[in-house]
Amino acid sequence: MFAYYLQLGLRSLRRNPILTALMVLGIALGIGASMTTLTVFYLMGSDPIPWKSSKLHYVQLDNWSPDEGAGSDGRPPDQVTYRDAVALMTAGKADRQAAMYKISLPVQPENPDVKPFMALGRATYSDFFAMFEPPFAYGQPWGRDQDAQHARVIVLSHDTNETLFGGVDSVGKTVRMDGVDYTVVGVLAKWELRIKYYDLTNGAFNNPEEFFLPFTTAIETKRRSTGNNSCWRSPGAGWEAYLDSDCVWIQMWVELDSPARVEEYMAYLNSYVEEQKKLGRFPRPLNNRLPDVKQWMADQEVVSRDVEVQVGLAFAFLVVCLINTIGLLLAKFTRRAGEIGLRRALGASRRQVFMQFLIESGVVGLSGGLIGLVLTGLGLVAVRSLYRQYANVTHLDWAMVMTTIALAILAAILAGLYPTWRACRVQPAAQLKM
Amino acid sequence: MLKMNHLQKVYRTHLIETHALRDFSIHVRAGEFVAVTGPSGSGKTTFLNIAGLLEEFTGGEYWLDGVDVRGLDDNARSKLRNEKIGFIFQSFNLIPDLNLFDNVDVPLRYRGFPAAERKHRIEESLSRVGLASRIKHYPSELSGGQQQRVAIARALAGSPRLLMADEPTGNLDSLMARGVMELLEEINRQGTTIVMVTHDPELAARAQRNVHVMDGQVTDLGDEVSLRRQKAAHPDHAAAV
Amino acid sequence: MEIRPILSALMRSKVSMILIGLQVALTLAIVCNALFIIGQRLDLMKRPSGMNEADTFSISSIGFGQGFDVQSAISADLNLLRSLPGVAAATTTNAFPLSNSGWSSGLSLAPGQRTSTANTAFYFVDESGVSAYGAELVAGRDFKAEEIGFRTPNDEAMPRVAIMTRALAKQMFPDVADPVGQTFYFGGDDESEPATVIGIIDRLQAPWVSASMVENTLLLPSVLSGGSSSTYLVRAEPGRRDEVMKEVEDKLATANRSRILRGLRSTEERRSQVYAEDRAMTIILGSVIVALLGITALGIVGMASFWVAQRTRQIGTRRALGATRGDILRYFQTENFIITTVGLIAGGILAYAFSLWLMDRYQAPRLPWHYVPIGFVCLWALGQLAVLGPALRASRVPPAVATRSV
Repeated sequence: MFAYYLQLGLRSLRRNPILTALMVLGIALGIGASMTTLTVFYLMGSDPIPWKSSKLHYVQLDNWSPDEGAGSDGRPPDQVTYRDAVALMTAGKADRQAAMYKISLPVQPENPDVKPFMALGRATYSDFFAMFEPPFAYGQPWGRDQDAQHARVIVLSHDTNETLFGGVDSVGKTVRMDGVDYTVVGVLAKWELRIKYYDLTNGAFNNPEEFFLPFTTAIETKRRSTGNNSCWRSPGAGWEAYLDSDCVWIQMWVELDSPARVEEYMAYLNSYVEEQKKLGRFPRPLNNRLPDVKQWMADQEVVSRDVEVQVGLAFAFLVVCLINTIGLLLAKFTRRAGEIGLRRALGASRRQVFMQFLIESGVVGLSGGLIGLVLTGLGLVAVRSLYRQYANVTHLDWAMVMTTIALAILAAILAGLYPTWRACRVQPAAQLKM
Repeated sequence: MLKMNHLQKVYRTHLIETHALRDFSIHVRAGEFVAVTGPSGSGKTTFLNIAGLLEEFTGGEYWLDGVDVRGLDDNARSKLRNEKIGFIFQSFNLIPDLNLFDNVDVPLRYRGFPAAERKHRIEESLSRVGLASRIKHYPSELSGGQQQRVAIARALAGSPRLLMADEPTGNLDSLMARGVMELLEEINRQGTTIVMVTHDPELAARAQRNVHVMDGQVTDLGDEVSLRRQKAAHPDHAAAV
Repeated sequence: MEIRPILSALMRSKVSMILIGLQVALTLAIVCNALFIIGQRLDLMKRPSGMNEADTFSISSIGFGQGFDVQSAISADLNLLRSLPGVAAATTTNAFPLSNSGWSSGLSLAPGQRTSTANTAFYFVDESGVSAYGAELVAGRDFKAEEIGFRTPNDEAMPRVAIMTRALAKQMFPDVADPVGQTFYFGGDDESEPATVIGIIDRLQAPWVSASMVENTLLLPSVLSGGSSSTYLVRAEPGRRDEVMKEVEDKLATANRSRILRGLRSTEERRSQVYAEDRAMTIILGSVIVALLGITALGIVGMASFWVAQRTRQIGTRRALGATRGDILRYFQTENFIITTVGLIAGGILAYAFSLWLMDRYQAPRLPWHYVPIGFVCLWALGQLAVLGPALRASRVPPAVATRSV
C-alpha cells in the first residue's frame, strides 16, 4: 500500500506544480535557514573533547582589587598570575597540570629560501600533551625533567614542520627562533580543533599554535605573553617585578580524574589562597573556581549571543514556513474533497485516506528537506564568508545531514496532520452528485 | 419588459464557431409569466444568461425595460442587473458562510440602500417566503426547498421588475417543487414579470406562455390559443389568469 | 465597505484566517525586532573613530637576533618614513582605534584614590602622533620633540604630560570648562606623580569598539617598544595611500634585514574587520527579513488563490446579483485587510514580548514603540500587494458562472 500511496502522492504533487513548488520552497527555506544556524550553534557549543571534558578543569583564583571585582557578577579573573601558576605547578596536587600562555616568536629558518616569519606558539608544561591529546606524527612531547631544566626543546605543528623541513621527520633537528636554537622533540600530525578550548581568552576560534615549548624556557628567555594581560595595579618596574605582580596572563588547567579529586583540589586551592592572604595577597573574599571544559565554554560565551539570536530567529522563520505549508496543504486537500468522497465510497477506510494524505505530506517534506539540505550547504558557505573566524564550525557532518532530513519530514508531516485530519472527515457520499 | 430582436450569440474557440443563438427574437410583456423550454443544448441557458445580462451577445438588439442594453459597459450592466432583475438559480447559490439575513442583504448592499431600509426589506422579503423566524440560520441548516425560498426572498428584496428563474425546482423533490412554484405564481400575481427557463414540460405548463427553443432559435412563441388550451387542461388554475 | 458580513463569513472559516493571521503576527514580531537589531548595529558601525581613516595605515616590525637595537631601528625607520614622498605624517604607536587590542588603565584625580575616576586607552606616540592619527586638536598644544622618551613595557614611570579626548576630559573633570592644565594620576599608587593635560583632541576612539569607554583615549609622549618590536602609523597624502603602503613595505624591508615586517593594514581594512560580525549580523537578519516577507506574501497569494478558486461560484452569484468587478476586488482586499489587521494586532503584542525576552536574556535595549506602527504599514501594504493578483482574478470571474450547472 505504501508504494501505491507514494505513487498517488507524487502524481498529485505533479498536478499542481505551482502550489507544490510553493510548499516545497517554503519548507526548504525554513529548513535551510534553521539548519544553517543550528549547525553553527551545534558545532560551536559541542563538546570538543567528550571523553574527558569533565576531567579537565580550568583554575580561577580571585586575586583582584579589594575595590572592584574582575568580571561582572562577581566572577574571578579569567587568567592567573605567574606566581600562582608556578606555585600550583610546583605543588603538583592534580593528576596532571599545565600552566600556559601565548607567545609569538620570529623564526629564522636555516634554509635561505624561506624568509623569516612570525610564529604563534604556546609556552606550557609537558602535561599539556597528555591532557589535550594533540596527535603526534613524529617524536613525542618533552618530559617533566625537561620542564625542570628549562630545556631548549620544541614541538612543531604539522604546518610548521612542512614549512621548515618539507614535512620530513625533523626530530633532533634545530630551529632558530629569535636567536635561540631549539631542538625538535616532536612533530604534530594535523590537529583540527573546532574550538580552541584550552585558551578561550585569546580567541575561541583560532587555530592551534604553530609550536609549543616549555613554559620554564619561555620565562627564562623573558618572553612576554602576546595574549591578554590584565593588571589591577601597576606591576612595578622590570621583568622580575612583573613576574611577582598581580597581573594575570596565564591559563592554568588541571586534570582531575574523579569528582572526589575535584573536591580535594578545590580544598587545596582554598587553603593555598588562605596562605597567600596571610602574606597580604588576595584581598577579596575567597572565590576560587574550577569549571570543567563545558562549564568554562559556557562561562566564556563561546556560542555568541548573535548566534543564539540567529538560531531563535531561524526557528521562528521555520514556524512561519510551516504555517504557510499548513495553509497550502489545507487548500490543496480541501480542493480534493470530491476525490476523498469517491475513495471513501469505493471502500477506503478513514485510516487509509489518512495514510494516503500523510504520505503525500511526507513527500513534500522529503523534497523540501533535500532542497533544504542544499540551501543549508549554501547557507554555511555564506556564513563562512561572513564570519571568517568560524571556518571550523561551518561544516555539515552526517549527524546534521540526517537531522536536516528528519526535521524536514517531521515538519511536513506535522504541517500535514491538520489538513489530513480535515480531509478524513469528508463523508463518503457528501461530495458525490446523485 | 424584455425585447430581443434577431439576437445572435456566437462562441468562438480557435477552430470552431458555435452559434448558440441565431436570429433569436422574443418579446415578454410586463406582468407576464413566460416559460422558456427546450432540450439540453438548445440555447435556453445562453438565452437566460443574455437576458439576465450575465453574458454579452454578438449581434441583434436587446431592450430591457426600455433600456437598450447594447454597448453597455460591465459596470452599467451590473447596476442594471442589480436594479431590474432578480435571479433564482437551480442550485440556489446561497453563500454558505452567510446567514439568511446576510444572504438576502447581498444585492441590497450593492444597491447602496441605507441600513434601515435594507433591514426592512430583508425582513419583509423573508417573511414573504415564510422564513422570517430563521433569519440567523445558515443555509446548511435548511432544507433544499427552504434554501430556494431564501433565494427567492433574495431575488425579491430589491423589488426587481423582472424575475429570471433557471430550473428553479430542478434540485427539489416534487413536494418542495410545488411549494416553490406556488410562491412564484403568487409573486407573478402581485405584478412581477417572470421568465422561467426549464426543460420540464409539466412545470412549463404552469406558466402563462411557453416559448420553445430549438437549435438557438425560437420555434414556438406561444400564442393566446395555446395559452387557452393549456388553461383548459388545468382548470384549477384558470382563476389565476 | 461591507466589513461586518466579510467578518462573519471569515468567522465561519477560522482556520484559514488563523493561519494567515499567525503568519502575519510572527512576521511582524520578527521583522520589528530584527530591524531594530540591524538599526543598532548600523549605528554602532557608523560611529566615527576620530582618526583619518581614508589615508592612514599601519605596519609592525619585529627585530630578531641578539644584536638588534630597537631604539636606533625606530629612529632610523621614522626618518625613512618621513622622507618618503607621499607620506604626510608618521609616528610610532602601540595601538589604534578599530584594532581591539591595546593597553587600558584607570586614571585618578588624587594619589592613593581607591577606585579610578575613568578608564582610558593609552596611545604612546611621538610629536607627530596627533597629526599621524589625523585627530583634531581643539584646545591646548601638541607634544614637543623634547618631551618624547623611550620606554619598554617593564618601565614604571609614566610621562608627565598628556593629551586626552574631549570625552575623557569630560569624565575626568566634569565641572571644568577648560581641562587644559588640569592634573591627574595614573592608577591609585600612593607615591605616583601627577601628569598634566596639555591638549584636548575632539575625538579618537579606544581600540575596543564594544567597550563602554570607547571614546576615552589618552595620548602619551613616549616611544614604546615591546621587546624588539615597533609599530608605525603612517598618514599618506590624500589619495596616495595604496601606493605609499607598497613603498613603505619595500623600503622598510630593505633598510634592515634582521627583522620581520607584518600587519601592513589600512585603517579602512581594520574598520571592516573589526565590524565584520556586526555586518554579518545585519546581512543575516536582513536576509531573514526578506525571506520572511517573501514567504508571508507567497502564503497570502496561495491562500487567496485557493479562496478565489473555492468561491468561484459565489463570486459569480454576487456578480449576477449586481456586484461590479470593483465590488469583488474590494471584497477580497477588505477581507485581506481584516485578516492582516487581526494578525498585526497579535503581532504587535508578540513583538513586544520578543523584545522583553531579548532584554531579559541579552540585556538588549527596549524595542522603540515606533517600529511596530511602521511594521503595521509595511505588512498592510505587503498584504494588499499579495492579494491583488488573486483578487483581480476573482474580479474577472464571469457572472454567467452562477447559472452553470454544478
